Amino acid sequence: MSISRRAFLQSSLAGGAALTAFGFDVAPLYAQAKTLKISRTSETRSTCPYCSVSCGVIIHTLGDKAKNAVPQVVHVEGDPDHPINRGTLCPKGASLEQEISNPRRLVTPQVRRPGSDHWEDIAWDQALDEISRRVKTTRDATFIEKDPRGRTVNRCEGIAWNGGCTDTNEFNYLVVKTMRSLGVCYLENQARV
Amino acid sequence: MRDSWQRRIDRAGHLAERDPAARPLLVVYSRLLSLQRDSYEMFRRRADRLTGSLDRDLSAVRPCVAPMLTVVAEIGPPRLADEAGRILDGAAAALDAMLLAGWRATSGQQFFSKIALQPYAEYLAAIDVRPLDRDGPRGKYVCPFCGGAPQLSILDGARDPDGGGRQLLCGTCSTVWPFRRVLCAQCGEEDEHRLGYYHSPAFDHLRVDACDTCRHYLKTVDLTRLGIAVPVVDEVAGAPLDLWALEHDYQKIELNLVGL
Repeated sequence: MSISRRAFLQSSLAGGAALTAFGFDVAPLYAQAKTLKISRTSETRSTCPYCSVSCGVIIHTLGDKAKNAVPQVVHVEGDPDHPINRGTLCPKGASLEQEISNPRRLVTPQVRRPGSDHWEDIAWDQALDEISRRVKTTRDATFIEKDPRGRTVNRCEGIAWNGGCTDTNEFNYLVVKTMRSLGVCYLENQARV
Repeated sequence: MRDSWQRRIDRAGHLAERDPAARPLLVVYSRLLSLQRDSYEMFRRRADRLTGSLDRDLSAVRPCVAPMLTVVAEIGPPRLADEAGRILDGAAAALDAMLLAGWRATSGQQFFSKIALQPYAEYLAAIDVRPLDRDGPRGKYVCPFCGGAPQLSILDGARDPDGGGRQLLCGTCSTVWPFRRVLCAQCGEEDEHRLGYYHSPAFDHLRVDACDTCRHYLKTVDLTRLGIAVPVVDEVAGAPLDLWALEHDYQKIELNLVGL
């Protein structure tokens, strides 16, 4: 009994019957298939952003590629095929999904005013204006052109920068360029990828 | 990772009790597994005579086929039952030719050669006697032991507790071999935008891994979600997913024993 399985199955289904390529009756299962809620998920290989180990991860994104559907990350796991971590992840890496999809993630700048006991949302333009003004004021007040022995140093000791571990390589490049141009010496971050 | 025949039969029985829709299919499948188990035991008793060349091993394989045909003629669907009767009444040469043709194909689309040759191939793999006369293409995505097409894939947490590494299971000899997670097992597509898996909460530990480039799919049994699953059996029990995939114009890489 050699048959073209695809043609057979398709003609069976189209004809109202539900037989497999070998003739087994799957009518009840076909009815069940009609009720299934099926979702499409894609797996994207990537690199954990947290530390210099650079573990491979697989990001599961739910979404059927429809134009009006917003893809949503539903799971992140270690990549078993990655030579560095072979599927394992540390607790920070294992929580990556919460870093991507987190209702508590800040999406606007916030400020806590002097004397205030809470953070308040402010607009991006306002935040940029205030930061620029304070950087200018602080730098002007604390900039050191020459050290006590008269040597030119051009440094700003009134400002420090501390970057986070998920800052990207490109972001850190710009940070270094900006801080060095201001004369900031106290410059640190934890990102190494 | 080959599950014992008894474990497969027990799992089929357990799933048949739990799922009324799949019960008729699983009851028959369980009988087919029993036939294959008996056949496997016959090969075990004749191990010293098996060479890996079906031409030469036909004398050992042929006696296993008759009981299978008899039972299929009794319990099989009408089309298979008629076919079984015809083969039983036909000449031995025709049976031999059917078995040899099935053996030489890398993908089993013929029920009787599939049911008869799976235990033979599985026993050859168990005793590490390589098949000699399978002349299909030995591509990158076929079984490294016998050259058969993959029946399903497995995400196994037991072997690699942290990893959930992927393995493919051969549809012919049940050999399991490691395979990359994000890669089509039919055409080798690795573009993540062309690959995806379909999942239903009704079958939480099963998923349909599909490729939009070649429109092929295979089912994955996720043992990290359900460690007691028996991949070949749970794959059959997940038949509604096959029917869904078929309706969405995906073609399975390798048919299972019930033709899905």
